[in-house]
Amino acid sequence: MKKFLTLLKIEGKLSLRCIDSIFFGVCMPVGIMILIGLIDGQNPTTSDAGTTLIQSSFGALATVGICATAFMGIPLTIADYRDKKILKQFFVTPVSPTMLLWVHAIINMLLSVVSALLIYAVAKTFFGYEMMGSKLAFMGSYLLVMISMYSLGLLIASLCRTVKTANVVCSVVYFPMLFLSGATIPFEIFPKSLQTAAAFLPLTQGIKLLKSSSLGLETSPLIPLVVLFGSLVIGIILSMRFFRWE
Amino acid sequence: MEISIEVKNLNKHYGNRIAVNNLNLTVKKGEVFGLLGPNGAGKSTTIDCILGLKSFDNGSVRVLGMDPTKERKRLFERVGVQLQSSSYQGNIRVGEICEEMAALYRSPANYDDLLAQFKLDQYQKQPVAKLSGGEKQKLSVLLALIPQPEVLFLDELTTGLDTEARRAVWDVLIDLKEKGLTLFLTSHYMDEVEVLCDRICIINRGHALVTDTVPELIKRSPYQRLEDAYLWVMKEEIAV
Repeated sequence: MKKFLTLLKIEGKLSLRCIDSIFFGVCMPVGIMILIGLIDGQNPTTSDAGTTLIQSSFGALATVGICATAFMGIPLTIADYRDKKILKQFFVTPVSPTMLLWVHAIINMLLSVVSALLIYAVAKTFFGYEMMGSKLAFMGSYLLVMISMYSLGLLIASLCRTVKTANVVCSVVYFPMLFLSGATIPFEIFPKSLQTAAAFLPLTQGIKLLKSSSLGLETSPLIPLVVLFGSLVIGIILSMRFFRWE
Repeated sequence: MEISIEVKNLNKHYGNRIAVNNLNLTVKKGEVFGLLGPNGAGKSTTIDCILGLKSFDNGSVRVLGMDPTKERKRLFERVGVQLQSSSYQGNIRVGEICEEMAALYRSPANYDDLLAQFKLDQYQKQPVAKLSGGEKQKLSVLLALIPQPEVLFLDELTTGLDTEARRAVWDVLIDLKEKGLTLFLTSHYMDEVEVLCDRICIINRGHALVTDTVPELIKRSPYQRLEDAYLWVMKEEIAV
């Protein structure tokens, strides 16, 4: 346990030292929340009555931190550590290199939770946001979306042999997920055809789940749950099959 | 006589290429053993097989009587390793990498003392990336000493070091040798091998050409210096 905490402390410091994870994971979603609040916060959304834009966006914005850590932080760190033979070096110590992966999983979880809490604090303090649905259901959904997306991030790290390919794949996955899943731009304003296509993104389903739990909607969570658990299982199985330590 | 490292009939190939061909090595406790050979001879592959980092076709490996793949955690409490051209986490500082390595062991060495011994103590707060090539190399040897190892593996230990730094590393190693450390190293510098090694093995294309003590090998060759004797062995490819 002491080993784990020391690693967490040092690797955590290293993560905080690189600005991009903080910027994309924390600053950007908080900024978007402020923007939405300033533009249109108190007004009701066009389609569904009774909810403000802030209320309907909260669930989506809360996933931006997950997106940044799952599709940037985790795969890029693993690819980099593998490339630099840091994972290999851990094989010749009494500690398993798996511990290093867990340390980074925890760091990224903390980062995305901090991001979500900050968004919540900003929305509540400045724009009078209240969650209509059950907070517990929301937290459960959030956790599921997070581990499901992290398993996909691990899969990217497993399939990409070099830092260069990991960089390309992360950009190709991260930006569409960010803009098409509804995480930043409200899904409802997309044209119908784009909505159909975007519905195939796992994060879109995750956001649907978070949205309905934050709004307390009675929609069936079946499809989102199937997609999220499916991604989780497939991500983990394929990662175990293809993961390389060096 | 206690045996620290024992390699029997080690074979390893990559595709069609034979990397290690029926290699036999025995390193006694307290001995400094040098594995020599040109680039691509199979030195690093041999070390990787001994450490359990690479699987091999057949043969057996024992370090301190243990199988490195099966008893990894127990073994590496007592074994230090410097891998060839190691690199570190981006923007990690010298003190932090030492603290991180020390945290992995049950009874680590005091790394402040080691930093002072290697004259790296003034760089504690500096990013590792900002160190010069020689200082980085010294740091990699230092990190391998953090477990207070009984057996130490050093792959190309002084590549890139200046004369003074090389001497400093040698002094630390000779000192540890007197305290009973077993050392397994690879090197391209024959003066270094003459200073440090009790026994050497010269390999080429995965094949052991000679295994002998340094004075014996020189005596068997028509030359007076190890470097000439080494080149003679490589040229003759005499298998002994």
